[in-house]
Amino acid sequence: MQPMIQVDNLTKRYAGVTALNGVSFAVNRGEIVGFLGPNGAGKSTTMRILTGFIPASAGRVQVAGFDVFEDSLEVRRHIGYMPENNPLYVDMRVAEYLKFRAKIKGVPRGERRERLEEVVKQCGLDEVRHRVIGQLSKGFRQRVGLADALLAEPDLLILDEPTIGLDPVQIRQVRQLIKDLGKRHTILLSSHILPEVEMTCNRVIIINKGRILASDTPENLVKTLHAGGLIHVEVRGPAVEVAAKLRDVTGVASVEIGTGADEFVRVTVEPKAGSDPREEIFKTVMASGWTLRELVRQRTSLEDIFVQVMREEDEAEEERRESRRGLR
Amino acid sequence: MRNVLALLRRELNAYFASVLGYIVIMFFLVVMGVTFATVVGYLSTGPKQVTAMKIMFSMFWLPSLVVIPMITMRLLAEEKRAGTLEMLMTAPVTDFQVVFAKYLGAVVLYSLMWGLTGLYVVILRHFAGMSSALDLGPIASGYIGVLIIGQFLIAIGLLTSSLTKNQMAAALMSFAAVFILLIVMNWLSFLFQGGPVSKIVRMFSAFEHMEDFSRGILDVRPIVFYLSATAWALFTTTRIVESRKWR
Repeated sequence: MQPMIQVDNLTKRYAGVTALNGVSFAVNRGEIVGFLGPNGAGKSTTMRILTGFIPASAGRVQVAGFDVFEDSLEVRRHIGYMPENNPLYVDMRVAEYLKFRAKIKGVPRGERRERLEEVVKQCGLDEVRHRVIGQLSKGFRQRVGLADALLAEPDLLILDEPTIGLDPVQIRQVRQLIKDLGKRHTILLSSHILPEVEMTCNRVIIINKGRILASDTPENLVKTLHAGGLIHVEVRGPAVEVAAKLRDVTGVASVEIGTGADEFVRVTVEPKAGSDPREEIFKTVMASGWTLRELVRQRTSLEDIFVQVMREEDEAEEERRESRRGLR
Repeated sequence: MRNVLALLRRELNAYFASVLGYIVIMFFLVVMGVTFATVVGYLSTGPKQVTAMKIMFSMFWLPSLVVIPMITMRLLAEEKRAGTLEMLMTAPVTDFQVVFAKYLGAVVLYSLMWGLTGLYVVILRHFAGMSSALDLGPIASGYIGVLIIGQFLIAIGLLTSSLTKNQMAAALMSFAAVFILLIVMNWLSFLFQGGPVSKIVRMFSAFEHMEDFSRGILDVRPIVFYLSATAWALFTTTRIVESRKWR
């Protein structure tokens, strides 16, 4: 089956600045994909190109099988888009605005009322439907933007920073809404908040300085980039001896003694890549007659991966610069 | 077409959802009302060579200088500033449909305002008594003139609004444009009386055209001129809106 979004070698140059540099990726139907990157990484630019607001400098972009440049109107009919900062006509009332949007999105006259009711219900807008948008709280405005994106029942939802500027309760609500929507729509969302992407998306594309650094499921990213997370052990026993014994356990790369507050010793064990020595550690501690109070494998969060990928990228950049300097 | 209608409706709503629409109409009615009262007062002093509505039409430039910038300044500048242009242009509508609907919205508001002056005709008719004093032919062609020149100025105002994100800048630019097109052209025709320059200037002078229209002369040349100039302005505006794509 043809993917929902197919991007090949996408490049975008603004006067003097390269915003996107040979980006390629694909999003399959039914996926929720998170675009992750620091501010100015090229997330919004990619989304604007996907929606046909600005064209690419080079490369090919297809949405639902249509070329973004050649069949712009057809592509737009397949997309529900919520731009960054969610611009709305602040002088209109919620229902009035959604009705207007339904019209220009070509929702047939007979279905408009039904669609409107549907999205109002889905996004919890019933209590504000007759309010002027300019007077709504940020959370409600965000929901109006989402409702608008959903109006024409698009195959693809593109949401640029959907939770920016919301309070924690609203963020949770919007995330839940996105998760629910993911059951029926393909979603591409962007964020610079990592837990958000980790929680809502089943695939993450990490982007920085106009290039894709990694693209995988959150779990796989964790697996490949931090094969063995650190293991924390707390044992009642002589510190030096504990460290020595644990160092001999198979699958352990190194051991570090931490400071214990009481008679327990806190040891941080770094396992060898791909191995999980927790069971062996347990057996060793038992065999030595010590008491084990804690044995935890630290879960690597996307945040760690993100920081690590960025750092690797920066180091690679540094090296390139070094070598260039060396050539001269 | 359905898109244009939906966009047009939104444009008209926008005029009346804010105070802007009411302020413009109020301003227009005050200016025209004072003018009308003065004209009637002047004509009641004795028999004159002109009719009341002819003088009213010849004063069309006065409200235009303020009304045109006011109803066009917001149109594209505000969409660009607020970022709503992105919402509009990522919906399945073409750039031209958006530009054309905005132009139509302003033209409808402008026509509505001038339509209200139809009341003056009713008043004149009621009090003048003799229907022969009130020839409806020149009045009709006068209104056509007002509409045809006004819609051109609106297209120019829309063009200036597409050039900036700042409403005030757009208003000043369109004021300057209207001033040059109306007042400066009139001065020029006044300065170069006789000779080839005068001939050319008079061909493009809205005052000259209005003079003809309000006398009941429907010349095809100025109508073609204004309509094609409008088409040019709308085309250029569409290109400017599209220009975000070339940068």
